[in-house]
Amino acid sequence: MAIKLIGNYAKRLGLPGYSSHQFSVSVETELSDSGDIQGEAARIYQLLQDAVDREIQETGFVPGDEYGLRNGNERSHANGNGTSNGNGDHNGNGRTQYRIDNGNESNGQSDRWACSDKQKTFIEKLIEENKIDPATVEQISHDRFGFGMRQLNKLQASGLISELLEVYGKKSRNGKGGRQ
Amino acid sequence: MSVATLAPPVQAYDRQSGPLDYLSASRLKTWADCRLKFYFKYVERLPTATSPALFVGQIVHQVLQQWNLRRWRGEAADIETLWPVFSEHWIQDQPDDGIDWKGKEDEQKEKAWNMLEHYLKQTPIPLAEKPEAVEVVVERDFVAAGLPPLKGVIDLVRQGGRIVDFKTTAQTPNVKQVAHLNEIQLSCYAVLYREATGHPESGMELHHLVKTKTPKLVVTPLSPMAPEQGRRLMAMMESYVQGVEAEDYVPSPGLHCSYCDFFDQCRAWKRGAA
Repeated sequence: MAIKLIGNYAKRLGLPGYSSHQFSVSVETELSDSGDIQGEAARIYQLLQDAVDREIQETGFVPGDEYGLRNGNERSHANGNGTSNGNGDHNGNGRTQYRIDNGNESNGQSDRWACSDKQKTFIEKLIEENKIDPATVEQISHDRFGFGMRQLNKLQASGLISELLEVYGKKSRNGKGGRQ
Repeated sequence: MSVATLAPPVQAYDRQSGPLDYLSASRLKTWADCRLKFYFKYVERLPTATSPALFVGQIVHQVLQQWNLRRWRGEAADIETLWPVFSEHWIQDQPDDGIDWKGKEDEQKEKAWNMLEHYLKQTPIPLAEKPEAVEVVVERDFVAAGLPPLKGVIDLVRQGGRIVDFKTTAQTPNVKQVAHLNEIQLSCYAVLYREATGHPESGMELHHLVKTKTPKLVVTPLSPMAPEQGRRLMAMMESYVQGVEAEDYVPSPGLHCSYCDFFDQCRAWKRGAA
C-alpha cells in the first residue's frame, strides 16, 4: 500500500502600515519506505520552512506612511453620498494632513497606534506626568521621524521615549522607565 | 583577548531581574561562554570592580551615543563639540569605589580620546547621515515558544535598516572569526529589529575601535540574519532556559578564564555550593 505524506507550511508576517503578507507552500509525496515517516516528515518540514522563509523576505509593495490617509481623510469628512457637504469640512486643498487627536475627534483611526500598547501607555504617561503639550511631542515625532507619534513603529517609539525621558522625564525616570 | 561590547550599563535592572525574567544577548553570551560565570554574575550577582578597559569602553560608548543622537537631532556633531562630552563623562562616570588605574589614568584617557578621534575621522558613516535609531530599547515576546521575552538595546540603526554595534578591543579582530564570535548578539538584534519594524534589517556592521598604540578602526559589514542563524539562536535560547531551570551551572575552563572577574570564586567552587 502506498503511503502519502502531505505537508503544508504557511507563514504570515506583519508589515508597516498595518499590513501583512503571507505565503504557504504545500507538497505531496509518496513514501517508498514506510519505516521512516518521522524522518521524511522532518525533512519536508525543513524544506518547506526554508522555501517559505526565503520567499517571504520579498515583501513586494508595502504601503508607505501616507498610504490611504489622503482618501481616508476625504472620505471621513464627506457626507456619505459622494459629495462634499459644502461646509468646508473636507480636505479640499488636496494635501495630506496628519491630525493630532485632541480627544474631541473620533474617526475610527485615532486610537490606533503602530507601536506596542506598553509604549503607547508610557508615552501618554510621560506627557501627562510632565505636563507636556501633546503638540510638542507630535512636533518632535515629525522632526525626528517624519511623521506623527501614532505612526511610529516600535523601534521609533523607543527612540521617542528615550528622547522624552532625556528632555522631560525626571519624574518618570525613577519609575518604570523605557529601559525595561 | 578582551573585547568590550559598548552596551550601556544595564546592571541596574539586571540586579532586579531573575535569569528567567527575560533573555538578552549578554545573558545568552555569558551562558554560552561559561555557565558558572553566568551563575556568579546573574544568579549570585557578585559585585565586580570596574576595570580601566571597561571604563574606557563605557566612556567611548557615551561619546558615540552623543555623536549619533546629535546627528539624529540635526545638531552639531563634529569632533570639537564632542571633547567636552568626553571630558565631562570621564570625570562624572568614575565609580564610587574607584578604578585601579595603576598610575596610568592620564595615559588611558589620552588613548581613549585618540581612539575616538580616529573613529570620527575614519568612520564610514557620513556626518550628515541621519540615523534611523539610536540606543533604542527593543523587546520581543516568545510566549508561543514558552520562552521569556528577549530584550536588547541597539547602539545604532543606520538609514535603510543597517544595524551597527560598536566595540572597543585591545587587539585587531580576526576577520574570519568576528562574525562567529558575535553571532548571538547580532542575531538577537536582528530578531528585535524585525519585531520592532516589521521588516528585516538590510545588513549589520561591527565597528571595532582598536586600542593599539596607533588607534585603528575595523569595520566588518555582515549580511542580514540568515534563517539558519535564527534557528541557532532559538536553540541557544531553549538551551539557556532548560539549563537555568535545571540549575546546570558548571565551569568551562579555557583561555577566557585569564580575564574572568570570577576566577577566584570559580577555583573555590564545589558542585552544588553557592
